[in-house]
Amino acid sequence: MQHLLHDMNPSVKFVLVTGSMLTLAFFFNPWTPAIFWLAIVFMQIFLSRMDWKLWCLMMLPFTLGSFGYLWTTLVFGAHDNSEVIWTVAGISVTEEQWQHALSLSFRVMALSTLSLMFAMTTDPVKFVMSLMQQLKLSPKLAYSVMVSYRFLPVLIDEFIQIQQAQRLRGVIVEKHWWQRLSNMRRLLLPMLAGAVRKAERAAFAMEARGFTGAPRTEFFHPVTVTRTDILMAVLFFMVLVGSCAGGILLSR
Amino acid sequence: MLKSWKLKEIVLMSLFGVVFGIVYLLAIHLGNIWAAAIGPIAYEWMFGIWFIVSIISMHIIRKPGAAVLPETLAAIIEVMLGNAAGPRLILSGVIQGLGAEAAFALTGYKRFNLAIFMLAGAGSAVFSFVYGYFMSGYAALDPSFVALMFTLRVLSGMIIAGIGGKYLADSLLATGSLRGYAIARAKNGDVGA
Repeated sequence: MQHLLHDMNPSVKFVLVTGSMLTLAFFFNPWTPAIFWLAIVFMQIFLSRMDWKLWCLMMLPFTLGSFGYLWTTLVFGAHDNSEVIWTVAGISVTEEQWQHALSLSFRVMALSTLSLMFAMTTDPVKFVMSLMQQLKLSPKLAYSVMVSYRFLPVLIDEFIQIQQAQRLRGVIVEKHWWQRLSNMRRLLLPMLAGAVRKAERAAFAMEARGFTGAPRTEFFHPVTVTRTDILMAVLFFMVLVGSCAGGILLSR
Repeated sequence: MLKSWKLKEIVLMSLFGVVFGIVYLLAIHLGNIWAAAIGPIAYEWMFGIWFIVSIISMHIIRKPGAAVLPETLAAIIEVMLGNAAGPRLILSGVIQGLGAEAAFALTGYKRFNLAIFMLAGAGSAVFSFVYGYFMSGYAALDPSFVALMFTLRVLSGMIIAGIGGKYLADSLLATGSLRGYAIARAKNGDVGA
């Protein structure tokens, strides 16, 4: 059971996740996102092999962010005529504002958990392959993205090298955090110039090996839609409808 | 749309996507720390950072799609890097890119000057705000607060993305590595650039 989320077709998963997010945006009651959030957490517990330590670490900023949403909505919430439930430091909070604030915070939690689920159970290379095979992304684009993705470790090495070289020569001073920000331009320019050269070389190499970017029907690594995907799509749909209906009923 | 593109332009655009994917990720982490204390308005003044790749890439390549594609690619790369904001980012990337693209499409991809780049930055800001209004439920907030957020975001788009993006691309041109791209040909006054 614990491999189902990992085995899903990335494009199907992507469409399901995006669809659920767009649906959630229509609900302003606190229950819908809360139920949905819990359901997704349970799905992750039972249907995936999650690295929970990493999960908690990644969720931390979003949890803090949801508190930011909570108080912003309380303080700057739209005014309405419902009952004032409590007043703190001259700010009165009405029933409706409280509901909205809770709803938006739970929405942040639900959306980030859903996204984290996608990010942590999807193989990046398979994702791009699937985008090309199922969602008809142009091969020219897909393979260019793959090539660029492979350059990532090189770019990070280069970044460190440029930074160290500039420090060695005393070009950059990093005493305060704002100096670090203004140094970004000095670091970014050599990085971009290097990227331009790499792009040219990679493109020549691809063309020299006969890559034309023409659409194709056969692939070396086929990514298919299987019965698991249909099963999971039904499960997702049930969770989504369940939380929408549950939210509407509970907030009556 | 990609028919008129050379392969090297597409690879260049994707590599920019990678570089700015990293920059965007760093910016998100910075913003998250802020946002915990100040709430969603923390992102507004720095929103222009996330629009910048559209402007740079359009300034260099000057072909239809050069604004929306790299923004989308940067978002896809961010997801490939394992960013927790995941698929939501791809969607917002497409929408921001479309905002910038709309501004360039208005001029028929003929004029590329500071005013157009600032307009494109503002376009990204407007598109992304409408999307944010819907996704993050700004409807629940006070209208004057929403107006403040909107103004900050448009200004940030115009200044950071519009002016900053042009400045970065121009500095890159000065390094001499952009020979063979539309930006260098336009500077030399070649026809069809």
